[in-house]
Parts: sequence; C-alpha cells; structure tokens
Amino acid sequence: MAILSGGVSFGIASMPGKAFAQIPAAYAGQAEPGKILVIIQLGGGNDGLNTVIPGEDDLYYAARPNIAIQKTNALKLDQDMYLHPSMVGIKKLYDAGHVAIAQNIGYPNPNRSHFRATDIWNTGSAANVMWEEGWAGRYLMTQYPNFPIQMPKHPMAIQLGSVESLALQSDVGRFGTVFEDPNQFYQLVSGATADTDAPPATQAGDELGFLKQVAASSIQFANVIQASATKGKNSLTYPTTGLGRQLGIVSRLIAGGLTTPVYLVNIGGFDTHANQLTQHANLWKTISEAVSTFQTDMTNQNLADQISVMTFSEFGRRINQNGTLGTDHGTAAPMFVIGKTVRGGIIGANPDLKSVDANGDIKFKYDYRQVYSTVLRDHLGLDNVRTAAIFQSTFERLPIYKNSIEGMPEQVTMELLVPWPNPIRQSALIQYGIFEEATISLGVYDMQGRLMQNLFEGKRAVGSYALTLEGSLFASGHYILSLQNQRGGRLTRSIQIQND
Amino acid sequence: MPGATASNIRHLLSRSLFGFSSNDYEKAMGYGSLESLVDQAILAPLPLPAPPNAWVSLTPAQAQQDSGDAGRWYTELTQWWNKRMYTQGLNMQEKIVLFLHNHFACERDKVNYPQYMYQQNQLFRKFALGNFKQLVKEISIDPTMLIYLDGNNSRGAAPNENYGRELLELFTIGIGNYSENDVKQAAKALSGYQVRGLTVTYDPARSYTNASLTILGKTAKFNVNTLVDLIFEQKQTAEFICRKIYQNFVYYKADEVFVKKMADVFRANNYELKPLFRFLLLSDEFYKPSILASRIKDPQELIIGALKLLQIPVPDWNNAFELARMLQMQLFQPPDVAGWPGQREWISSTTYSHRGGFTDSLLSGKRYNGVNVTGKLNPLIYARTFSTCEKAVAFVNQLIDLFILFPISDAKRSFLLETMLEGTIAANWSTNTAQADVRIARLLKAMMRMPEFQLN
Repeated sequence: MAILSGGVSFGIASMPGKAFAQIPAAYAGQAEPGKILVIIQLGGGNDGLNTVIPGEDDLYYAARPNIAIQKTNALKLDQDMYLHPSMVGIKKLYDAGHVAIAQNIGYPNPNRSHFRATDIWNTGSAANVMWEEGWAGRYLMTQYPNFPIQMPKHPMAIQLGSVESLALQSDVGRFGTVFEDPNQFYQLVSGATADTDAPPATQAGDELGFLKQVAASSIQFANVIQASATKGKNSLTYPTTGLGRQLGIVSRLIAGGLTTPVYLVNIGGFDTHANQLTQHANLWKTISEAVSTFQTDMTNQNLADQISVMTFSEFGRRINQNGTLGTDHGTAAPMFVIGKTVRGGIIGANPDLKSVDANGDIKFKYDYRQVYSTVLRDHLGLDNVRTAAIFQSTFERLPIYKNSIEGMPEQVTMELLVPWPNPIRQSALIQYGIFEEATISLGVYDMQGRLMQNLFEGKRAVGSYALTLEGSLFASGHYILSLQNQRGGRLTRSIQIQND
Repeated sequence: MPGATASNIRHLLSRSLFGFSSNDYEKAMGYGSLESLVDQAILAPLPLPAPPNAWVSLTPAQAQQDSGDAGRWYTELTQWWNKRMYTQGLNMQEKIVLFLHNHFACERDKVNYPQYMYQQNQLFRKFALGNFKQLVKEISIDPTMLIYLDGNNSRGAAPNENYGRELLELFTIGIGNYSENDVKQAAKALSGYQVRGLTVTYDPARSYTNASLTILGKTAKFNVNTLVDLIFEQKQTAEFICRKIYQNFVYYKADEVFVKKMADVFRANNYELKPLFRFLLLSDEFYKPSILASRIKDPQELIIGALKLLQIPVPDWNNAFELARMLQMQLFQPPDVAGWPGQREWISSTTYSHRGGFTDSLLSGKRYNGVNVTGKLNPLIYARTFSTCEKAVAFVNQLIDLFILFPISDAKRSFLLETMLEGTIAANWSTNTAQADVRIARLLKAMMRMPEFQLN
C-alpha cells in the first residue's frame, strides 16, 4: 500500500473517470500565459445604489430619505454618477483609468435568497436551473484537463479562507487550495498522509475518495505555496484588515512565482437590513484601501498587466429603505473590474429608478455572465467556443478591457435555439431566427474548434429558419453548433451526439 | 425491525451521539434490542440542566460589552455545552439541540448578549423531543431570533422582511413554495415585537393596520401563532423539515420516498419530534448498508468523539474550543442563517489538515503551533482497559472496529498492526515491552489520521 505523506508529491490514481468522458484531452485550452484573475466576493448582498450613487436622480433621494448619500459628500465620477465617500482609493484608480464599473448587472428572474442567489453567481447558471459545478471550476477544467489523475506543480486556484467556494468546485474534484496563511498551512500538512488505494464503489466510498483527493492535493501544494510566499515580497504595507491581509498574501504568492490563474478572497457583512450607514461605509473603506494597495504593489513589481480584480455580490438591495434604516434584498447592482488592462469608466446607462420590476426594484440591463464571459475571453484569453461551453450559451461581451470589442453589444440581431433533442441520437431539429438581414454561416465544430460540417452559408432575410442535423454523420461526442454573421456576432450551443 | 448487531449498534450510536467510547458500546449492546436501546436510553426524557453560571439571568447591559464579559461568557457557555455533549451517555438530546441550533441558525457576532443565546439553547433543549410547530411559534418571538433577523423593532407600516423571508425559506416551508408577496405580508404579521431586558414585549400599535393580510392564498388578520399554524397546514412544511433531518442524520442526499414516509409520521403525530425520531432510528432505511459510514463527521462529532474514544478524563476544553473554530464549527457562530451546510463543505485543504492536527494533539500534548494541550493520553493505562491488549492482532482489530466504521481491508489491518509492532513479531507483543507506550500512541495516531476516520 502506497502512503502519501507531507512533502512528497504524487497524484492520486483512483478518482472516478467520469470527467474524461466529458472532456476530451484536446479540449485543453491555450490561455494567454500568466494572466491572473483575483475575485473579491462581497458576501451578503452589496447595496449598489449607495456604492455607485445616482446623485442627480431625485427618485434616489425620495426612496431613501434617511440613508441616501448626499452627492456633496460623494466622489464624482462620469455621467452623473458618484462613488461612496469612503472609496477614496478606488476613486484614484478610476481617475487613472484603471476601474471599469459595469452597471445594472443581474439576470432574468432574480432570486432574493442569499443561498440560492450565491449559488447562481458561483455556478454561472440561469435562475431556473441548478448547476453543481462552479463557473471557475469549469474554466479550470479546460486549463487542467488531466486533473485529478495528474496534479500540476502549482495550485490551480487559491482561496484565502477555510470553506471552499462552489465557484471552484467541479464534478472531477475541487480545484481550490484553501488556506488562511501559507506558513500555517505548511505546518499543518506536514503530518498528513493519504494512500492511493481505490475506494470501493459505494456511497461511503465516494466520500472516502473525496477525502483522499483533498488530502493528496494539500500534500502536493503545501510546499510550493510556502516557498512562493517566502520568496515573494510586498512592496508596501497592506492595511491590517482581513481583506488587506488576504490581498497581501495573494501579492506575495504572485510575486513569488506561482502560476495559479484564479484567486478568490472575500469580505462579508453586506447584509445591511438595519442601521446600514456606518457599516456600509466601513466595508467600502476596507475594500478601497486594500484594493488600491494591491494595485500599487502589483504596479511597483511590474505585475499589474497580468492581473484583473473583479468584485461580485449575490444581489443588490431594494431601492427603498426599510423601517429600520437599512435595505432589504434586491436585484441588479454594479460590478467592478479593476486593473491596468481595463478600459476605465462607467459601462451602461445609469440605474433606472422609474421603470422598475414588479417588486419595485431595478431591472437588470446586462447579464452577470456577460461580465464573466468578458473576463474569460478578453483577460484570461479563453476562446469563444470554450467560453460559451462554460455557460452553455454565448453571452455578448461588454467593453471592459482595452482589447474588448468597441462599443456596447449590438441589438439582438439573431438567435439560435437549443437543438432538440440533445443529446442527439439520430437527427435533431436546428432552429434559428434572423432579426436583421445578414450574411451568416451555420456550422458544427469539434471541441478543438475545427469545422466538421457546414450547414448553411449565405445571405438570410429576416425570418425563422429550421433544418435537420443528421447525427449519424458524426462520431459520438461533444460538438459546438455555431451561428455567425458578417459583423462578428456569434452564437453557439453545445450539442452531444450519441451513436450506439 | 433491524437487529441489535454490532454493526447496527455502532451505526446508531455514531449518528445519535457525539461518538462513543468502548464503555458506551458495551452498555448499548446490553439492551438486547434496538427498540429497548432507543426507548430506554437514546430518546429517554431528560430534565433541563442547570445553567453555566449566574450571568444567565443578568439584564443585558453595555457594561458587559465594554468589560469583555460577553466574550468570556460565550466561551463559558460553549464549554458548558461541550461538557454536556461529552457526558451525554447514551442520550440523544444534545445531538438534537445542535440540529435545532443549526436549523434556526443565529450568530453570536450579531447577538451580542450570551444571556439570549443561552435562553435559546435551553429552548432547543426543552423542545428537542417536543412539538416542532410550537417551537417555531416560540422561536419567532425569541430574543435571539428577534435580534438576529431584525424582527426587533420591526413595525407593521414598514416592516423588516428579514425574518419573514427566512421563516419561510429556511425554517419551515422551503424555497419555491411561497411568493415574494407572501414574504412581505408575513413580515407584517410578525411585526410589533421588541426585546426589553431579558424578555420580549408586544405592542399592537407597532404592528400592522391593514384589515387583513393574504398569505399563502389565505386571507385573515394574521398574528404570529395563526401565521405559523397556516404554514404547518402546507404539505411541504413537514417534508421540508423531514428532508433536513434525513440529510443531517442519515445521508446528505435525501431519499424522497422515505422523506415522504417521515412526513406522514410527522403530520400524524401533530409535529411531535419524539415519534418522528423513533420512527427514523428504528427504520430499515436507517440501517441500509449504503448508509453506513457515508457521513463526514462534523467537527463536534470529531472532537467530542475522539475525546470519548480515548477516554480522556479531563479534556483540554480550550483546545476543543479553538479547534472547533479552526474546523469552521464555532458553536453559537454558524456561518450564516442557513447554518453549517455539512458533509463535504466541512472539508477543504485547511480544515482536513487541522482535523489530523487535532487528533495528533491528544497524543503528543501539543498543537501544530506548539501550544501545550493538557490531558494528554497515557497510552499504557488506556491500552490496559482493553481485555485484548496483550494479544497484538486481537487488540489492533478491536481498536479498528471501535475507531473506524468504514470497512477496512485486510491489507490495511496488517499495515496498522505493523505500525504498532514496528518490525517485531506479533507473538512477542506485550504492553510491558520497551517503547510499548510510544508504539500504541503511533497506532492511535495513524488510525485517526486515516481518511476513513472522518466518516461515520
């Protein structure tokens, strides 16, 4: 019986092979080397309207007689919007063009439960379906197709904390290495052991396999994490807040040479139902100071071009204040993307406090998966097909990065329905709609992006179209159906062909 | 009816208690049948315990916050509860109290006064085998809950929706079975309460003025009691609670067919918990082979359970308190109102490693960071409490069967035997040989470091 112990590196040979039926090795991505995403989770539901403030809108002041932030105290941005007064550091970054604020981010049929809404944001699903894999986990599957049979040298994702986020989980295993402090983690793991025996195929055996995988990856990564944290330095002193400490560690790990592409840090306390003014101000002061220190540090160490910071929270809050000087669970809210490679400024129209949803709350203008898709494609360099596969649908990108598409997403000019049936056994019905005359191409691609069959190419007038896809012409497996127009618009659907 | 086999008894004890010692196991076997064991011990009624200290009846005051008393009292309260878990014998009460604490989760960070959380904890004890519907009525106007979910000072004209939402979503009927409007209307029905000193007052003038409210399709002038009655008229409520009990005590993925059977029993007994738990603990479902050892121990089960296994006479309760915190299960401080999610969510690279560090500390007398741990095990005295201790193979097998519920292969049994023998032959083993204490400690450490040890 082979025993793994602290300091010895082995993969674990006994994990179920389920993933490999889904992810062909050729599906491995070629992300731009060295790009890093730092995600900041704002737990509890951040009050977007008191963060990025519509200071010229009378409706805002009317809805919040006691808790509105007066524009005279706030920090002026563009297009009549203001930042919360405690966000001085982020304002400086904004003025330097390093902050993109995407407004009114949400999704259809928003959920107001902390738990369900957090799951939605973590999995990248629509509100009406339950996914059990994280969106970052699915991204990491494209980057580490051999995990967990083979472990890479460096962690695939790092989360500062103790409980692993759903965002980093997947059917093949957990991508995150989770710890509070690199040295303490090393000390802890040094006594750990894990054997490589295959667990039995029972319910209890599944749980044992899971425990063994966590043990094996801790043993695998503890050394390199500690070594990087020792080698890497901070070029300036971080605030002594929880978030400051977390970003200080992220900085040392990156500066110390870890190639980990995804970091997750968090700050809680945003569930401001009562007496919210002081608490909300302190939270954003903490974030603003920690993020601006991190940004300066990365710039000093010539690492800033590699790194993007993105915030998210499970929902915004109600437009109207409640009876206890706070705000209850709401809907859409702004997201921040911060870094040297972003195209700074405000993206999208200001919150519309007049045309609201049935509950009197803000209607979302852009889907949160548009932001995720933009980050995946324009920052992490993932291609369109694989990005669409992560969300099982194409989301139009937003002009967040300097290399992003110019201007706002066009009006919807075409649609591609989900093929039926899917998986496809013999044939399936492909339906699409054209809302503006265009030259289009419709085709089936394999997971390496090679065109397998051209279904249609040419001009299409406005209308609905349907055709039949013969599954028997293909080998069994996963494919991408793609509809493109000459303006660069592209819609995709994942399809699976099963020929017995 | 399942039989009182060694395997069934160990399973029942591991799920209804915070682990068990070899003495507990022998005693449980003595009952002769699962039915006697459940009726006479596991679900036997117990009186309410004496409070941890006199502070529980002091009127909450700013002074205790300023002086740091609140923090010390919370530690005292936690250790009081830990000791109750450690000395529970064969009674399930504290396990159900913890289930209820996790179900009606409230955080001490927001409820600054331990007096309130002590009251709530005793309320859970009072209802551990009592009427769940009545508990929901009382928890709705419990000081801790009023503070934690902002019902305190909520007025009918502009109610705070926090408690109304969680009452429906997490405590009773479950997400998807009510509308946004139900939340808003329920918040009105729940308004008008204020925490005053150690008690709660109701002021009709602070409640709603509408002639009636429409909630879950019914229109009436609702108050807390009639609102809760209405919620329990919904079929989904019994199922929601039974599903949660199943997930906590049986397996984290619920069997919906069996959950419906539980819900039938729950409704037929007017939401009394005792007959529901009796039904569950004597059901064939509970003892199915696929259920055995399929649960990842929660940190309290791990910590209290390891102390019981090793029969530590005077455990280091500070160590237990600190480690539970590191393992993400600080009592009175669940992560949020949904409580601890459990099972795989207990485990990350950090918490898994801390689990091993804790069990090591009971043998080494030191934590991973060098801090001393009192009550370190004396391996020889411990070993000699086992009749098999002079026969290496039998001794190791007896320990494995006591410590680990997951089926252990012969190869692993030999590996553990060799860990103790360290090159000598089994026939030469005696607890009187040189270094026997070190070898026994090494065996115990290795068993508790096995991932199998984390399952019950």
